[in-house]
Amino acid sequence: MTGVLHRRSFAAMLAGLGGSVAANRFLGPHVFGNLLPDAWAAETANAPELARYPQKTDMILLTDRPPQLETPLRYFTTDLTPNDAFFVRWHLSGIPTSVDTRTFRLAVSGNVRKPLSLSLQDLRTRFEPVSLVALCQCAGNSRSLFEPRVPGGQWGNGAMSNARWTGVRLKDVLDAADVLPGTVQVGFRGLDTPPIPQTPRFEKSLSIDRARDGEVMIAYEMNGTPLPMLNGFPIRLVVPGWYSTYWVKALSSVAVLDQPLKTFWMDTAYRVADNPGAEESPQQLAKTTVPITRMAVHSIFVKPAPNEQLVAGKSYTLQGVANDGGSGIRKVEVSTNDGKTWGDATLGTDLGKYSWRLWHMPWTPTAKGSYRLQVRATTDDGQQQATSQWNRSGYQRDVIEHLDVVVA
Amino acid sequence: MKLHRSIFVLPTALALLTFASAQQPGASSKSAKASRNPVQEITLPNYPADTPPGPNLAAYQQKCLLCHTSRYVTTQPRFPRTVWEKEVKKMVDVYGAPITAEEQQQIVEYLFAIKGPVDNK
Repeated sequence: MTGVLHRRSFAAMLAGLGGSVAANRFLGPHVFGNLLPDAWAAETANAPELARYPQKTDMILLTDRPPQLETPLRYFTTDLTPNDAFFVRWHLSGIPTSVDTRTFRLAVSGNVRKPLSLSLQDLRTRFEPVSLVALCQCAGNSRSLFEPRVPGGQWGNGAMSNARWTGVRLKDVLDAADVLPGTVQVGFRGLDTPPIPQTPRFEKSLSIDRARDGEVMIAYEMNGTPLPMLNGFPIRLVVPGWYSTYWVKALSSVAVLDQPLKTFWMDTAYRVADNPGAEESPQQLAKTTVPITRMAVHSIFVKPAPNEQLVAGKSYTLQGVANDGGSGIRKVEVSTNDGKTWGDATLGTDLGKYSWRLWHMPWTPTAKGSYRLQVRATTDDGQQQATSQWNRSGYQRDVIEHLDVVVA
Repeated sequence: MKLHRSIFVLPTALALLTFASAQQPGASSKSAKASRNPVQEITLPNYPADTPPGPNLAAYQQKCLLCHTSRYVTTQPRFPRTVWEKEVKKMVDVYGAPITAEEQQQIVEYLFAIKGPVDNK
């Protein structure tokens, strides 16, 4: 019964949306980015297309309508990912391409005493600004590394980026709206629309406790400047520690709910096996699933680049990034002999428990030959990476990664 | 029983966001300029469809590319027929794609032809 009413109200809302967002337009020539430096060229050997979108640098093109753009690994050598290199992932092709900052409003409605319609100026002046460094990572980051392969966006390791977010606490906004008793969830929508009315709009929900934990933010700046349009201008939700499926871009509507949100995007998509490692096998798919939430502990190599030519006797710096879902990274270990022995990497600047952590370790290969490098991270609360992993959706990558290099 | 209210409300002002202002000459995609311009606008690049030849290409072009780029297919690895059948069914069942049962079969044939296992020929 409730589901039916939901759908009806959505339909009514959709009817009112006509013409609110500039339609997707595909004008002008496509522009390919410049060639990458030699050491990184190999990285894209199997990724045929680079793309340069407005406000973005050269990115690995997964899809163009809607845009899904992967950050090339060469941008993962700094604590904060430049906005123009920040990865892009939209679900529905009706993405916002134009926003009038004078008329844009964020609606806060539903099970509240005082529904709000907030301008961008309201957000900047009526609430205390807060700032936080947090990793934004697609649930399907590194999906292309799963074996057997699974369908979905074939991301390498670049469906993540780290930024300093500035905005307001969602809690403060909810408090201003005066949430009524009986609230169980808060739902979120952005300006993106489906290409045909039959397609469900992209929408997500958080429990009221998560929504009011004081950490979830509505961000109007990343790295000190407004968000690029493709990263959610003018505001996006920031859910520190959780996969970015919840980080609704171009956030336009916050709905306070007295019943759980019924939507494909929570009930069917973005779900993982209901066990600690979200583990299953093609032969034995998990029977029960739950919405994906907290990011798993994971670490990757950034240097050397895949297939980089190394020379015996020369000194190199192995480096990369490690992250988890909010405990913090305690330790990163690297092996240069396929896991026989491990050494501690040096950790980079600690920018807070929701940030990724850069790591590096010197390495001078003494002999020619093939080497399998491995990297594994341990969190502050003792979680470690898996030695094997598979799930049907290619989500929540947490397996110990390796990199095969040849020393000449 | 309490009826559930319309939960997502769109402010009227947003509905008035106009093409006119979005299309004004000189609207820039550069952030620096955009911070002075109250209307932030970008123009998306146009990537030609990548449609390898195969059976029922026309059905694929008409039905699938209506809503999304061909790269949703061409960037995928090769999969067995069952995977492509499931994907097409998902497009219909979940995303409401207006594709008849006959067309679904045709589209699966195309997907299987260009992205089926290497030894499928």
